[in-house]
Amino acid sequence: MLDSPAPPASTDDAPPTIVGAPVEQSLAAAQRIAGRWRTRAVASVSATDSDARWLAAVPDVGPTCEVLLADQLFHDLTRAEKDALLQWVRENQDEGGAWLSLDGTPDLSLTVLGWWARRCGGDDPAEESMIRAQRVVHSLGGAQRANFEVRLWLALCGAVPWDFLPAIPGELFLLPESLWLSPSRIAPWARGILTAYYVIARGDGHVRLPDPAPLMLRRDPDAKAMVSPRLTRPGLAGDLLQAFDRTVKLSRKLPRGPLPRWAVERACTALEHTRQRHGGWFSTRPTLLALVALRVRGVPSDDPRIVAGLARLRASRGRAVVPAGIGRGRTGVAQGLGGTRLATAARLVLASPDDAAITTLLRMELSTPGPWQDRANALAGGWPHEPRAEHHLDLESTCAMLGLLDTVPEGTALRAPAWAARRRATDILLAMQEGPGSFARFERGEADVFMRRLPWSDADLLGMGQRDDANRVRLAGHALTQLGRTGFRIDDDRVARGVAWLEQVAGDAFETRSIATLAALGHAAVATCPSGHALRENAEQRLRAQQREDGSFGGLVETAQALDALLALAGPCVQSRRAARHLADAVDRLGDDLEHAGGPPCQGFGLSPHVGDPSASAREVALALRSFVRHTTAAPAKGRRSRVQA
Amino acid sequence: MNELQRDHYDVIIIGAGLAGCAVARALRQADPDGRRSIAVIDKCKGVHPRFSGEFIHPRGAQILEDLGFYEPLRVAGAVDVDGFLAFEHADAQPVELEYGDVPNQRARGLSVHHKTLVRTMRGELRKTGEVDLYEGWSLQELVRNDAGHVSGVQLQGPDKQRHTLHCDLLVAADGKGSSVRKLAGIGDKGRTTIGFTAGVAVTDASLVRSTYAHVMLGAWGPVLAYPIQNEADGSVTTRITIDLPKELPAKGAALKEHLLEAYIPFLPAPLSTEVAAAIRKHPGNLEMAPTVNLPAPAAAQPGLVLVGDAGGCSHPITASGMTMGLRDAETLAAEARRRSTAPAGEPWFDSGALRRYRSAHDRYVPTRQALADAIYEAFRGEREGSRAIRRALFEYWGSGPSARSRSMALLSCSEGRPSVFLAEYLKTARHALSSSLVPQHARRYPVADRVRRARGAAALAKDKLGLVAEVMWAQVRPTWMPDVAR
Repeated sequence: MLDSPAPPASTDDAPPTIVGAPVEQSLAAAQRIAGRWRTRAVASVSATDSDARWLAAVPDVGPTCEVLLADQLFHDLTRAEKDALLQWVRENQDEGGAWLSLDGTPDLSLTVLGWWARRCGGDDPAEESMIRAQRVVHSLGGAQRANFEVRLWLALCGAVPWDFLPAIPGELFLLPESLWLSPSRIAPWARGILTAYYVIARGDGHVRLPDPAPLMLRRDPDAKAMVSPRLTRPGLAGDLLQAFDRTVKLSRKLPRGPLPRWAVERACTALEHTRQRHGGWFSTRPTLLALVALRVRGVPSDDPRIVAGLARLRASRGRAVVPAGIGRGRTGVAQGLGGTRLATAARLVLASPDDAAITTLLRMELSTPGPWQDRANALAGGWPHEPRAEHHLDLESTCAMLGLLDTVPEGTALRAPAWAARRRATDILLAMQEGPGSFARFERGEADVFMRRLPWSDADLLGMGQRDDANRVRLAGHALTQLGRTGFRIDDDRVARGVAWLEQVAGDAFETRSIATLAALGHAAVATCPSGHALRENAEQRLRAQQREDGSFGGLVETAQALDALLALAGPCVQSRRAARHLADAVDRLGDDLEHAGGPPCQGFGLSPHVGDPSASAREVALALRSFVRHTTAAPAKGRRSRVQA
Repeated sequence: MNELQRDHYDVIIIGAGLAGCAVARALRQADPDGRRSIAVIDKCKGVHPRFSGEFIHPRGAQILEDLGFYEPLRVAGAVDVDGFLAFEHADAQPVELEYGDVPNQRARGLSVHHKTLVRTMRGELRKTGEVDLYEGWSLQELVRNDAGHVSGVQLQGPDKQRHTLHCDLLVAADGKGSSVRKLAGIGDKGRTTIGFTAGVAVTDASLVRSTYAHVMLGAWGPVLAYPIQNEADGSVTTRITIDLPKELPAKGAALKEHLLEAYIPFLPAPLSTEVAAAIRKHPGNLEMAPTVNLPAPAAAQPGLVLVGDAGGCSHPITASGMTMGLRDAETLAAEARRRSTAPAGEPWFDSGALRRYRSAHDRYVPTRQALADAIYEAFRGEREGSRAIRRALFEYWGSGPSARSRSMALLSCSEGRPSVFLAEYLKTARHALSSSLVPQHARRYPVADRVRRARGAAALAKDKLGLVAEVMWAQVRPTWMPDVAR
């Protein structure tokens, strides 16, 4: 790594320069590949794609497994669909028997779900790979120690008592929505899960599934009693909460009048209200559980809500390359977390511009009020996370779309709608700012959920990330960048608050921030702060220090993000040329393999906190190289030559 | 004129813009017997190249009519205007602030291309020959008498030679960068450059109301659009002014791109498209003018008075600069009329007349400046408090026609009573506090946010108390009491 800007590679007075045919060719190649992804993404967004759609965001095997489990209730999958999904599950299994999370570690819950899904597909539990999976589960504490969702499935099939899940006092659903304890104050994903869970648990739902008993860890082989999971964190507060949990469960046996019925009715109403235009709920898992809840409530399987929900799940499936496991590199069909991420689609269109695609994405703007407006003082506008998800604003998508709107050609019919959309989105960016200066992604207060302060072991799922995690820093960076591009500067108190928050959060931990975070900080600083501002200088300095001997900043995506940020911070320089050279070489070397080169995982939801981003490399490399070509073409340095000094 | 007609004038006016020409005509009307000699001097032979004020409230339009400039300006293409439309944001229903709602005042103002305005007014002065108009003569020095009072000027003529002219009274009407003020040693204490205004002209712009000035908020600074010229071919030219920060985010061609990205989205369609096209088509760099806040200095001293922007200026958001210049002309003419029978050999304006002029000037100018500052701060909305004031203003204006007419009376300089000013301040402050506690769109707005907004509003209201007190004192201060602050 370099601690200071790298010296020129050549001994010439002029720094090594690379503008010319090679970089432009590499840019064209990257754009061509990004264009393929763009076509797929936009077709998916406009619902004109075929069954051979590709997933732009690939989660772990959890959603696929749960769809297979739920199909034991819905009987909706065709044989071919079932086989394809099962194949995906099988190929994602590691040699050691485990299913891995996206960070590469064996995951108890995924392994339980993988084993169980394979059992649903008819795989023999005595098969070597199944036994290995069973051993992994046992070594990690048994299925009953898996996450909330797995325990819910276990309870649904009667393998564990409902006591293995935390109790939700029904009175919570009867509380006014402005109270901290109200379910409306928890993050959208968790709200979707908890509401459905409450309805399922109160209805004593049951789904016939293959017996997961081999995965359970018992006190001894002959004992019937299982090792019950601890629902709370260790410590006095956890003990007290565990006692409270038991009290709630016991109190259910006492007469409570109409309260439970009212609570269930309120929960059902909430489920009804949160169903989206696309037929599903917030994402795949809440959709699955909501459908199960509807069935538990006695809704027939041919009810339009069930049919639409299942169709939504089907539309969220697509082809993907197996990221890890015995089938690594092969193509299969996986269940996504939802529709195509609009943020990804917007970046793809930005990388490979297309007017029709912009029109399609513009149409996805929110035009109806949603729950995000409970605490955000703005009119409807901005973009959701996925197409036709009108309930949920997504600030990440909104920032990406704002970046795309800049490219709408002058003089076209799109220009005026794009301005109007930008205007509305800018108001929303400002309205979604939290008190300390950070920005909320889906709803204000999503990271500051009161109930998360209680020592539940699953408490983290109730919120959306942490107050100052890397995702939130990046989101604040993106939001401030867009505000800066719209003319807002640090002289505005809201921008000043955002910059101060970034400085405070990023301050001590600047060195430990990832390239993506440093790049987001750099872009935000350039857009909102005058030159010489500490945030700007720190971001540039730290970013420069991350460059390696070969000119890269890590992977392709990191190098592309760093190059783009460096160009924004300082324009073309020796380091940015070396990074561009590295990218150009990589594009030449990879050729069509760039299409699935992927990149670091991006943010997911709830139990799939990360998702793979297969188009990341092609997209970000194309964007960075284009930015580089623009910068170098706009301001050619003295003595610059037209080709790379290899 | 290329040669000096005499070496002594009763009044010499430096600057032949709106204020200078108006003062010249007003003084001439105050001296019907033609006993007094008046000269108007300007360094530019034609009109000044920089774009400048173009909007005149009814009070000013009435003065123009009284001075006989109104009809020639109308013939030259000036547009009668009916008031303001204020857009809190481009999608909002605009608030209509109509001149006609203000009792006891003319129902229409006047808007005119600045170059047309100056050309026409000078042409009128030239045509009647009522004053000696020297164009292309630049001020070099002030001449002072033994007592140190201003008693004339040294000029550089078109022949590049220096000439001296003596006078009983020198009138500085040479704008916010007044040379007279500098040469007279009147400091620019408190002068601040607020930013810049970029101007662009659009033909047949799609204004919501064709005879209203449109104030559009939402971008970094307010954008104004108002008609300025009825063209001979029947089209109407509309002026768009865009408020920019002091540290320009871009320059040259890049500034155009910045405007397209950061300002145009906040204009309602289809005006946005038309303005964008005009910006793109504009050859070279856009017309720019600095926006300056200059607290009114002492407007008179022996032998010298300041009129128009030379006597104090503020942000052009209230479009009151030209009206103030015309009021200065009217006030000065009233003093001239009072002294019109002064015996020969005595100066036209004695110390009492100058004191009275200064006293009157010190009443209406600070009020106008305070209003302009407050409105600009609210419309910029860079602080929680100023955004609260903005919300409060729109809420207040939406509360009924009487609220709008009271505000409009203050904004259009037709109301100067301290009680009205104080009442409007208190109402706005009350609305600011109450609207801070109630969100516009959020259904369950957090208490912490409400409190933050209310605290911001209260802090700003408190900050403005000093300003309000200053304005109130300016209104009630007895004429004989000098204003030591200036």
